Amino acid sequence: MFDAPHSALLCNILRHAINTPDKIALVEGDNRVTYAQLVTNIDQAARLMLASGLGPGDRIVLAALKELPFVYYYFAAHLLGVVNVVVDASSPRERLDYITSVVKPAALFGSGVYHVEGIPCHDFSWQDASEVKPDECTWPHVASTDVADIMFTTGTTGAPKGVCLTHDNIAGSASNTNGFIGTCSDDVEALALPLSHSFGLGRLRCVLSVGATLVLVGNFANLKSFFNILEAWHVTGFGMVPAIWQYIKRLSGRRIARFADQLRYIEMGSAALPVEDKRLLMELFPNTRLCMHYGLTEASRAMFTEFHTHSGNLETVGRPASALVEASVRDDDGNPVDDGVDGEICVRGNMVTGSYFLPEDNEDSFYGDWFRTGDWGHRDPAGDFYLTGRKKELINVGGEKVSPAAIEDAIRSLGITDCACIAIPDPNGVLGEVPKAFLQKSDNQPDIEEIKQQLSRLLPPHEIPVQWEWVDLIPRTNSGKIQRLKLKQ
Amino acid sequence: MESHIKEIIARVLNVALDRITDDLSSGDIPEWDSVGNLAIISTLEQELEIEFPLEDLFDLTSVKSIVEEVEKITNV
Repeated sequence: MFDAPHSALLCNILRHAINTPDKIALVEGDNRVTYAQLVTNIDQAARLMLASGLGPGDRIVLAALKELPFVYYYFAAHLLGVVNVVVDASSPRERLDYITSVVKPAALFGSGVYHVEGIPCHDFSWQDASEVKPDECTWPHVASTDVADIMFTTGTTGAPKGVCLTHDNIAGSASNTNGFIGTCSDDVEALALPLSHSFGLGRLRCVLSVGATLVLVGNFANLKSFFNILEAWHVTGFGMVPAIWQYIKRLSGRRIARFADQLRYIEMGSAALPVEDKRLLMELFPNTRLCMHYGLTEASRAMFTEFHTHSGNLETVGRPASALVEASVRDDDGNPVDDGVDGEICVRGNMVTGSYFLPEDNEDSFYGDWFRTGDWGHRDPAGDFYLTGRKKELINVGGEKVSPAAIEDAIRSLGITDCACIAIPDPNGVLGEVPKAFLQKSDNQPDIEEIKQQLSRLLPPHEIPVQWEWVDLIPRTNSGKIQRLKLKQ
Repeated sequence: MESHIKEIIARVLNVALDRITDDLSSGDIPEWDSVGNLAIISTLEQELEIEFPLEDLFDLTSVKSIVEEVEKITNV
């Protein structure tokens, strides 16, 4: 059996395999995996990786398919010091090609839907692993400060930014989160969030780290099926983004309240949730810990609030997630400001990234060891933090961060003279924000429907603007920067 | 009507029409996620000028159930 002193997460999983070997760790459809089997499978996946020549520092692109082998390979890479670059294989090809060109992976895993010429591609077929002999093998030395995962997030200029997270970072985030929420080994969690996102992947780490059971669910689309799983497995917790809450509310009304007695916790995050929805959740789940995090891929779960214990102040995004996390509001020079004064929210702590993959992305991202979130807000004298705006111009579509620059580039590529995109509230009240496009008028301008149709080949559906407006001129500064605030007015 | 509904679902999800089989359910393919499901509902309501009763939305989990519901509403 392996040893992994560099990874507190793997150490925890190993401990569960020794103390509670028959406890179910993972469920996927009809498949059950105990903690003992999980460790054996991680061990085998690591041997497969070693046999294919992978070692510490190598990077692999790992397609975040919600399948058991994904979990084995993900942790096997951690064991070997191989760096996971976790991607959504259904992302636009341009994004995947960009990521691949930047990280130059030694191999792709789970690549049944995604191949790149010249790079070895391995699918997740697990029967191969049974042929690997559990012979003697020397596990490489890995440091806890080495990079474990690179997660690509949306950059303001359109190009994705690779966030480097060390073994200490991801273990720290899991520890902070479990400490706040109170997840324990008796819990059974349903995971319907995507594993390609920091939130979903974080839930996987939290549950396995604490020795609980995780039921992998495709997504939330089929609520009837999701509710059946809540019932069948007597699920005690799950995570969701606010857009999913709007979806649950719209499609199922108050039906979910019948699980109130069994649900010990619900974790929410990735976007703002209206106060009236927080009140409704408190009414439907009077005894459930309703935990909402504030964070970014770069600083996962930086702050937390729990609605019942903070019922008198539902506007706050909370306080630092643990004693190992600090938050501070700073002015444009990086100096702390007084309570009540707006500035940029900055965080530091055990889960905060030390750098982006590309050195140029680090510019303007840190004040010393303080990570600059790009969010504006303030702290009150009691220590609660509040968001009041955003410095970065990303559009938060149901938790998916969308760069207006990426949409504008796509629209301009269709021959539109000039354009600009801003965030507007979703008219359907589901996704939080959605993009609106302003197009500069010109002779022979195409029909909007025609533009939308062509865009559907260039952008994923959630990035296609839902409102369109022709304007005489896109307002720009003397230096050529789009004046989005003017468009918002 | 059935083929028209399937065409709309295929167009909204941006998938080939032959993938829209009767037994296809929400969540079966990546394109039919929660956002795709809402888009199907709102597009059908707009284009067919119908309104799904709120209490029935929970049960619209497959192509077959959607077709049956639309036919019920339009009395086809």
